[in-house]
Amino acid sequence: MVLSTTVSQRKHIKRKAPRGFLKRVFKRQKPHLRLETSGDLLMHLNCLLFVHRLAEESRTNACENKCGIIKKEHVLAAAKVILKKSRGMMKAKQK
Amino acid sequence: MADSGSPDSEPTTRTLLRRVLDTADPSTPRRPRSARAGAQRALLETPSSRRLSSQTKTTARRRSQRIRSIGKLAHVQASGYLEEQTPRTLLKNILLTAPESSIVMPKSVVKPGPAPQVVQPSSRESSRGSLELQLPELEPPTTLAPGLLAPGRRKQRLRLSVFQEGMDKGLPLSQESRGNADASSLTSSLNLTFATPLQPQSVQRPGLARRPPTRRAVDVGAFLQDLRDTSLALAPPDTVLEDTQPFSQPLVGRSPSVHHSLPCPSHSGAEDAERAVSHRTRSTGPRLQNNSPGKPAQLLAGKAEERTEKSLSMSKVKEAARARGSARAQEPEGHTQVTEAEGSQGAIETKEPEGSSGDCPTSSRRVSPELASSTPEFLQAKRIQGLEPAPPPSTAVLPSEPLEPLSARLPPRARTPGPKACQNPYKTGLSHYAKLFSFYAKMPMEKKALEMVEKCLDKYFQHLCDDLEMFAAHAGRKTVRPEDLELLMRRQGLVTDQVSLHVLVERHLPLEYRQLLIPCAFSGNSVFPAQ
Repeated sequence: MVLSTTVSQRKHIKRKAPRGFLKRVFKRQKPHLRLETSGDLLMHLNCLLFVHRLAEESRTNACENKCGIIKKEHVLAAAKVILKKSRGMMKAKQK
Repeated sequence: MADSGSPDSEPTTRTLLRRVLDTADPSTPRRPRSARAGAQRALLETPSSRRLSSQTKTTARRRSQRIRSIGKLAHVQASGYLEEQTPRTLLKNILLTAPESSIVMPKSVVKPGPAPQVVQPSSRESSRGSLELQLPELEPPTTLAPGLLAPGRRKQRLRLSVFQEGMDKGLPLSQESRGNADASSLTSSLNLTFATPLQPQSVQRPGLARRPPTRRAVDVGAFLQDLRDTSLALAPPDTVLEDTQPFSQPLVGRSPSVHHSLPCPSHSGAEDAERAVSHRTRSTGPRLQNNSPGKPAQLLAGKAEERTEKSLSMSKVKEAARARGSARAQEPEGHTQVTEAEGSQGAIETKEPEGSSGDCPTSSRRVSPELASSTPEFLQAKRIQGLEPAPPPSTAVLPSEPLEPLSARLPPRARTPGPKACQNPYKTGLSHYAKLFSFYAKMPMEKKALEMVEKCLDKYFQHLCDDLEMFAAHAGRKTVRPEDLELLMRRQGLVTDQVSLHVLVERHLPLEYRQLLIPCAFSGNSVFPAQ
């Protein structure tokens, strides 16, 4: 498995999906449910996309405030938006 | 082949073989009918041919015998191949192919020899086996003649077989009789590759001979000395070193004994020290390895020597304690002092130089941990470690030992790497995604922002699980399937009509996961993953 890909960055990002972690999280949340094998990979994909969107939003907020550093407030504001988006339309509709 | 030279004056291999060939009848014992006539003839010829055969006679006889053998060859080929592997033919081949007065390798020689004569190797070996069977009875060829076997032809063959066996094996003939000097020369010259003993090999090829264990003696002595020193160092004076466990001595008894005896004979034979140093440098490594296996046996050495050595080692300890505070550079000083101390005591033992040299590595090992640590317990512990039966070279022991006390002194260091991983795996997983966040952001972030990200992730996971549960329940299942995930992503607006799930998978996931998620057709009409 690809543990880390050497991007042209200082940091080495782990591309490996924490499958055990995801499975454990799901089990803790919903012990009565089961998760399929490929399900946790898609969960990981979902998380990646969520984080990606969150980061983009945070960066946008930071740039709007003309900060070179992403601050807590930027993240917070971004999270509100993105979480609302990620809840799934069902709940959003219900709201 | 040169037929010159009188065979009697110089009994070379070649001449002897020739004689044998002349005298021996060409057939094997298995073919008695053809052998009889030849045997009688051979009998008559043998005494004369061996002693008085001239070259012309030999050649004539050989020619006649060759013709006979050729005729026999034709006959034999029709009947079987056993006769081809007579000793006679073998020897003839040897003579034919072997150069004059040279070491003949039977395998290389005999094999091309019989080949043109279409001889089976199996028959050769069978004939040899028959010869070998005869051999034990026939060890001395001179003595076997009278009484061993009644039939004359047998006798003749016995002689030949014995002769060949002697040539083959070398040992019996060479050892049998000095009268058979020719045989011995034959054996040594032929140097056939049977299980030859060491003696002819060493004579022929000194390089092949096993080296005498000269070094071993020294090492043993050094090892003895080393043992005594170690036993001194480890064992308290009360303990009787009959126990075979080298390092079972209690450490407690050591510390008092360390202090009370300080006969510092530092002014000892300097020459001993020098010798010790030289010995140490020479034979530290191999000796250490030699020391370990024999140590338990040597532990039962004399105690009196151990006591004196222990006092000596204590003086060493004291000196090492003095040198403790200083840097490692002073270690050679401690070495010299130690060696001097050893040298004084080494006069007691005969194996003193090796002993002191053997002591040097142990003392060096002792000194190094002493330098590092400041407690006698450490010292004893390090001595034990240093004299571990597992033989590490002293150089390897030296660096490892200071590390151990350091690590022992600073245990909290080990805990520092990766605390979160062990204590909070959930946090670890979240931090993983937080790192991804910072990677995607491509901007520097505050630590608090990262913590905020982790909180958001936590919330997100909760929402995720709820949604999945909802979708699964909607589908009437209790297992969350990938379809639920896809539906979720569609709901989230990630997967649209333009952007399919597979596209997202290909974009963001590594290849291995892609293979698992996206069904792909393989050979044999199979699709993986199965749909």
